[in-house]
Amino acid sequence: MTNKSDTKAGLYKETLIAGLWRENPVFRLVLGMCPTLAVTAAVKPALTMGLSVVFVLVCSNIVVSLMRNLLKPHLRILMFTLTIATFVTIADLFLKAFLPRMSETLGPYVPLIIVNCIIICRAEACASKNTLGISIIDAIGMGAGFTLVLCVLASVRELLSTGKVFEVQLMPDAFVPWAAMSMPVGAFLTLGLMLGLVNMVTKRKI
Amino acid sequence: MLKIKYFIQQSWLLIVSSFFFGLLIAATNYALSERIEWNKTEKSNNLTGALLPKTKPELAIELEIDSLGGKKEKVKIYKAVTKAGECIGWSFNAIGPGFQDKIELVVAVDKNFEKIAGFNVLASNETPRVGDRIKDDYYRDQFKSAPVDVLKLVKTGKPEKIDSEIVAITGATVSSEAVVKIINNSLLQIKKQMLEKGLISNDK
Repeated sequence: MTNKSDTKAGLYKETLIAGLWRENPVFRLVLGMCPTLAVTAAVKPALTMGLSVVFVLVCSNIVVSLMRNLLKPHLRILMFTLTIATFVTIADLFLKAFLPRMSETLGPYVPLIIVNCIIICRAEACASKNTLGISIIDAIGMGAGFTLVLCVLASVRELLSTGKVFEVQLMPDAFVPWAAMSMPVGAFLTLGLMLGLVNMVTKRKI
Repeated sequence: MLKIKYFIQQSWLLIVSSFFFGLLIAATNYALSERIEWNKTEKSNNLTGALLPKTKPELAIELEIDSLGGKKEKVKIYKAVTKAGECIGWSFNAIGPGFQDKIELVVAVDKNFEKIAGFNVLASNETPRVGDRIKDDYYRDQFKSAPVDVLKLVKTGKPEKIDSEIVAITGATVSSEAVVKIINNSLLQIKKQMLEKGLISNDK
């Protein structure tokens, strides 16, 4: 009994950590690049996007896991998209109602979560084959990993483009803001350097 | 009959889910739509308040005008009333195509529809730091006290000179032109209808 519990706990832990590092959706799977590049000019929108993805990921994984035995193989992608679209619409409505300014800042990128590969990937690779518990843990791990990367990327860009992080001044007055970092070129540059750094660290570990 | 049975066997989950998810979205929308509308009105009122300070917008009339897309659209005209009950201007929302997406403006004019009090951007998705500069004072200030006439966009000129010529933003001619077109289209049609309905007069 103890062994079984230990194995289950170990499996949950491993699933959770996988999303944060070993199978991180941005750094390791290179999925969800659209929001990663588009909404990371500042930390606040990046965090909101990350949390919206966590909400959609958890809800869609729950629904897909519960209906996994009823899914017809040729209709499964249609069912995943329908499920994801529902929760994205709900998240979008909540943002419009409670965070209207953030909803405007994020613009079309919230509805675009529907086509975010991370969510459909987790529905296909995990939720449609695993129990409810594993599916929820996987969604939390993957969502947290995605949110974390978005926030790190946004922190670097916001710091270099404005001298602030989370609207708190961190750079000295003499700092000259690097405007390019808030533009698409800054997103590509930062992401490229970070991917290179992660690959370097991973290679050294092996 | 067999075909129908096969269809139901294959797609019952999809049909049931669609119904359930549709219901979920409808319920959420019903619960939040009032708040979303309130947010929009609040933003519009704040932007109007910035153009016509110390006034409260009161719905005066709803007019129908030809949109830039060629369709008929309804426009709500608000009267800007001071605490003493005096009307000092009018405001309305104007929509038209921008460079990337629709641009929605709040336009304010004086009480006789002779001078523009200014405009604010209610919603737009113009390119950041390029077309997005239509929100900047440099561009918006050119409209303040400009005559209610056909505004003309020019590429060079003196932006500080207040007349019917609006100097375009360098590198954002399309967005600058879009704003001028949106204001031109709505302003003159609304003024004509307001004169016809006797809400304003030509007397100075």
